[in-house]
Amino acid sequence: MELIRRNKKYIVLGLLPALLIYTVFIIYPILNSFYYGFFDWNGLGTPIFTGFKNIQNVLQAPVFWNAFKNNIMVVLASIFGQIPIGLLLAIALSKKMHGAAFFRTIFFMPMILSTVVIGLLWTTVLNSQVGILNRLLNMMGLQFLTKDWLGDPNIAMFTVCAIIVWQCVGQYMIIFIAALQNVSQEVLEAADIDGANERQKLFRIILPSIWGSIIASVVMCIAGSMRSFDLVYVLTNGGPAHATEVMATYMYNQTFTGYKYGYGSAISLVIFILSFSFILISRALMRRNEQDN
Amino acid sequence: MSQTNGLRAARIFRQTLKYVILSLIGILSFFPIIWMFYSSFKSNQDIMMDTLSMPTILHFENYIGAWNEAKIGVYFFNSLIVSVGSVILVILLGTSASFILAKFKFRSSRAVYNYFIIGMLIPMQTTLVPLFIVMKNMNMLNSYWSLILAYTATGLPLAIFVLESFIRAFPDSIVEAAVIDGSSMFRVFLKMILPMSIPAIATVGILTFLNNWKEFSFALVLISDESKKTLPLGLYNFLGEFTSNYAQLFAALMIASIPIIIIYLFLQKQIVNGMTAGAVKG
Repeated sequence: MELIRRNKKYIVLGLLPALLIYTVFIIYPILNSFYYGFFDWNGLGTPIFTGFKNIQNVLQAPVFWNAFKNNIMVVLASIFGQIPIGLLLAIALSKKMHGAAFFRTIFFMPMILSTVVIGLLWTTVLNSQVGILNRLLNMMGLQFLTKDWLGDPNIAMFTVCAIIVWQCVGQYMIIFIAALQNVSQEVLEAADIDGANERQKLFRIILPSIWGSIIASVVMCIAGSMRSFDLVYVLTNGGPAHATEVMATYMYNQTFTGYKYGYGSAISLVIFILSFSFILISRALMRRNEQDN
Repeated sequence: MSQTNGLRAARIFRQTLKYVILSLIGILSFFPIIWMFYSSFKSNQDIMMDTLSMPTILHFENYIGAWNEAKIGVYFFNSLIVSVGSVILVILLGTSASFILAKFKFRSSRAVYNYFIIGMLIPMQTTLVPLFIVMKNMNMLNSYWSLILAYTATGLPLAIFVLESFIRAFPDSIVEAAVIDGSSMFRVFLKMILPMSIPAIATVGILTFLNNWKEFSFALVLISDESKKTLPLGLYNFLGEFTSNYAQLFAALMIASIPIIIIYLFLQKQIVNGMTAGAVKG
């Protein structure tokens, strides 16, 4: 029996197709882009080796750092928007109440729609011609609040962040609903008997017992925000005047509209290193936190 | 007595407040989608005249127009081919790889597993440019296969993550008994492992299908041929060409969303749990 479970032929046959496709279309391209990042190449001619010049140029481009700053804004909006709202919704919905399932279904719905659908829907919601947001503000007598939400460079990035929070909040609600099921009911009842109020129960019992899920959510927010591309591309394509540029849209536009494949590869490399180190750092923090508890 | 009445009143007040707040957030969360739904039945003039009003006559021609003139039908068909094609590949390759990783003994087993799982951490946007170059060199740009293979490659890590732990839980004796019985390993895989893994395969299949159906950035980079575009890519172009035909835009958005909303309403639990499990790990 042992012989069969060590049989090289089966092992190779079973693993090879998956390994091959995964390696050729994910791992090899990434390694390849590390390579092209060191060349000056327009995609057609012969690549010219330029060493660290591309990477240097990326790190010296103000637009790139502006894009990085916008990514950090998305991270902050996710951590301080999605997590608290998701947690509040989860706490409200995890108690026995009528319609909890209905609310859960609704709040999670934006997560399953295509980002392109969400982007087009929101450009229409915010549109000056037929948009409902400005229309509703006008109806409520709040004309002074009507804005060119995606066209005004000063507020466009906030609008983008708000839409991201709108889309993803349901995901965090679900994570916290699952976590809240593990909060000990006995401890909560004991606290009730001892006369603890809701706020004390939240901060002394509920939050400490779901702390692990909160930290995991923070890591998710960071990982998700560093890679934002689709929604920004559809909503604004980084405009107006780079106001909403994120690292991935900068990479895309430099590569495919500027035909700078070498430079674009270098941007990929920088994004890869930045987001991977963010994830690793936050995971390490998370692990240490688990050990502390 | 009056104190208990007061307490009860306070509780009712709190309950009501909770419903009011939940409903407000619910409206904020859901109204844009509702608006998209009912506006897709209005004529363009109606939308221009009053963007909030309900449709008076149901203009189904928006859907017909979107399907034919705006070529949403073509995109829909392309999305179906690409999504289903890669779901089949992910399930076949993912299950067989997971079977080997879970039940066979070889030195690099753990390393190969980790090699796949690390894919869940890779920001896929960083593969856009290099993947374009690879596909270009292989002469595969503008083909269904470019997307099917790209989606298969990106879907495998989650599939192996879910399936490996599922198959690992099967008792070794079942596989061994089957082999002693004289079944070839290939038959054991087809007749036992695949059928026994169906619950996990269903989760993987649904999630992979949804991800592929929604996917935009790979399609944007790999496909420029009008006849090969998938729904998200085709919809994106809608913005440019039919800028002021909002009625048709809403209909097109609905056509793209209806299949996944239906799948979601029927398989909510599996989708929600699967998406969350994958996300927490990644």
